[in-house]
Amino acid sequence: MAVDLTTLDYGVIARDEARRNRENRGVFVLMMVLSIVWLAPFYYLIVSVLKSPAEYVASHPLALPSGIMPLFANVTDAWVEARMGFGVLNSLLYGVVGAGVAVFIAIMAAHGLARYRFSGRTFWFMLIFAGTIFPFQMYLIPLFFTYLELGLLDTRIGMILFYTAICIPFPVLVMRNYLTQMSSEMDEAARMDGCSEFRLFFSIILPNCKGPFIALFLLQFTWIWNDLIFSTVLTQRVEVRSVMSTLQVFQGAYADVSQTVVMAASLLASLPTILLFFVLRRHFMQGLQVSSG
Amino acid sequence: MTSPHNMPDADLQQLDFSRYAEQERRERRRSMWTALGFMSPAIILVSFFLLYPVAYNVYISFTRWRRFTGFDEWGGLSQYQRLLGNPNFSEAMANTIIWVGVSLVLPVAIGLFIAVMLRGQKMEETAKSIFFLPRVLAPTAAGVMWFYVYAPDGVLNSILSFFTAEPVTIGWLYNESTVTPSIIVAYLWQTVGLAMVLLLLGLAAVPKDPLEAASVEGATRWQIFRHVTLPLLLPTILVVVILSVLAGFTVFDHIWVMARDFPGKRTLSLTVYMYVEAFDRSSWAYASAIAVVLGVIVLSVTWLQVILQDRIDRMTK
Repeated sequence: MAVDLTTLDYGVIARDEARRNRENRGVFVLMMVLSIVWLAPFYYLIVSVLKSPAEYVASHPLALPSGIMPLFANVTDAWVEARMGFGVLNSLLYGVVGAGVAVFIAIMAAHGLARYRFSGRTFWFMLIFAGTIFPFQMYLIPLFFTYLELGLLDTRIGMILFYTAICIPFPVLVMRNYLTQMSSEMDEAARMDGCSEFRLFFSIILPNCKGPFIALFLLQFTWIWNDLIFSTVLTQRVEVRSVMSTLQVFQGAYADVSQTVVMAASLLASLPTILLFFVLRRHFMQGLQVSSG
Repeated sequence: MTSPHNMPDADLQQLDFSRYAEQERRERRRSMWTALGFMSPAIILVSFFLLYPVAYNVYISFTRWRRFTGFDEWGGLSQYQRLLGNPNFSEAMANTIIWVGVSLVLPVAIGLFIAVMLRGQKMEETAKSIFFLPRVLAPTAAGVMWFYVYAPDGVLNSILSFFTAEPVTIGWLYNESTVTPSIIVAYLWQTVGLAMVLLLLGLAAVPKDPLEAASVEGATRWQIFRHVTLPLLLPTILVVVILSVLAGFTVFDHIWVMARDFPGKRTLSLTVYMYVEAFDRSSWAYASAIAVVLGVIVLSVTWLQVILQDRIDRMTK
């Protein structure tokens, strides 16, 4: 026998094992406590929207609700009285059009940057990329005055144009890397057969970008949906406001409005991102990887 | 070897070469115009809506604003001199530095702690989802909810009064001393999940062999972490630190929503200070100068990241 088993100190191994088990149990308990603390605000949010305003005032804020029916009244109040309906529909419009157009334009630009050889490529790339490095505070005042002059202030088209522009640079960065790595054999073959550059992009490049298109679209949609500062500066009328500034104005304007309705409004405002998270968790984590790389 | 001079048809060949070069140049010019065609929508939108405002903002910060003439009057550095002499600016700057300090240390420390604890545990996936969950609430919606948690008759006080057995009515968001820590806690609740997920992704890339070797040798968890994991995780930590610092300098939504009733809210951060000076008090040129200061800080941090990243890349190679 090559190994003399009798020389192994079983006592030490057993003690090691016991220590490790104890540590694991400690970690488990600690993580349980942390998780409960982490989820407590969600618990509060959910029990609140399930209570009627009267019930909320009468009961402990963390007490369980007596039923789920008040939820519908709260959501209806939020949708109609808090004008969240306008906000939700506006943000859907801004998010879908802004993110969709932005990612499409970004793929076009990345195609130009990655798949043609010409001098000055770095310059154009840096020009587009410079759009992501400044803090938002540097845009606010000039945008406000320019929009005022052009009549774009407080209009839907003004919001869509700005959201489209600010969502372009990051996807350009991602798609440039993606398209640089893609093989160019198909392009050559297509050009040989007399395919125009325009058709080449639409029939060969674009269909190959479906995966990153969806991931980038979701990322940018979420950003537009969650934006507060630009909507606060560039809109005034409730018909144009985005969902976040509607929520913020609603919470601030009526101090004695029922908290259950405000909670329902915040839940409504977060619904798309929550759904997105649960349905597309894998995509989300990939998006994170992309944005951190 | 034959040199072109010895060849009878040297002229012809030279001609051919220049024709090739000419063709090549024409090809490149054509592909440049095609590429510019594809890039033009992006270039136009980015230039008009992002780059032009930044340049205009810098210009405004060197002017004085008058109600009827606008930004025509040159002011030189006067707005920046006003900044330096204003105690509100110093206070906003100090508060912002507190924000950055906290968001530099705590998300990384808590995220690292949770990430290292979770590594290899059965409940890793579940816990990852739980800690990341606050991230899917919009910052504004989370702020609205925490506003009620901190209200004088809110959840936090009701929990505290359960322990003290007498009613507690602290206005967490109305006191000079509690407002910033309270908002920071809500902010951390939302942001630690991201730090944790990024660190777990980094940990997943750390090779298992040295960890197992250390474990077999009888190293404690702390020793393994300190001498094996931490050095290998350094690049990820750098990314998380820089992201946290940039987020700390530019945090706006949480403060704006939660401190809406706080009387001294404009000095809570540079971003809020800039917003109030511009859109509530119409000190446009002065507010532009605050934005420029913020821009210089953010660009410097980004520049520092590029340098450190480069150094770490060279170290690991």
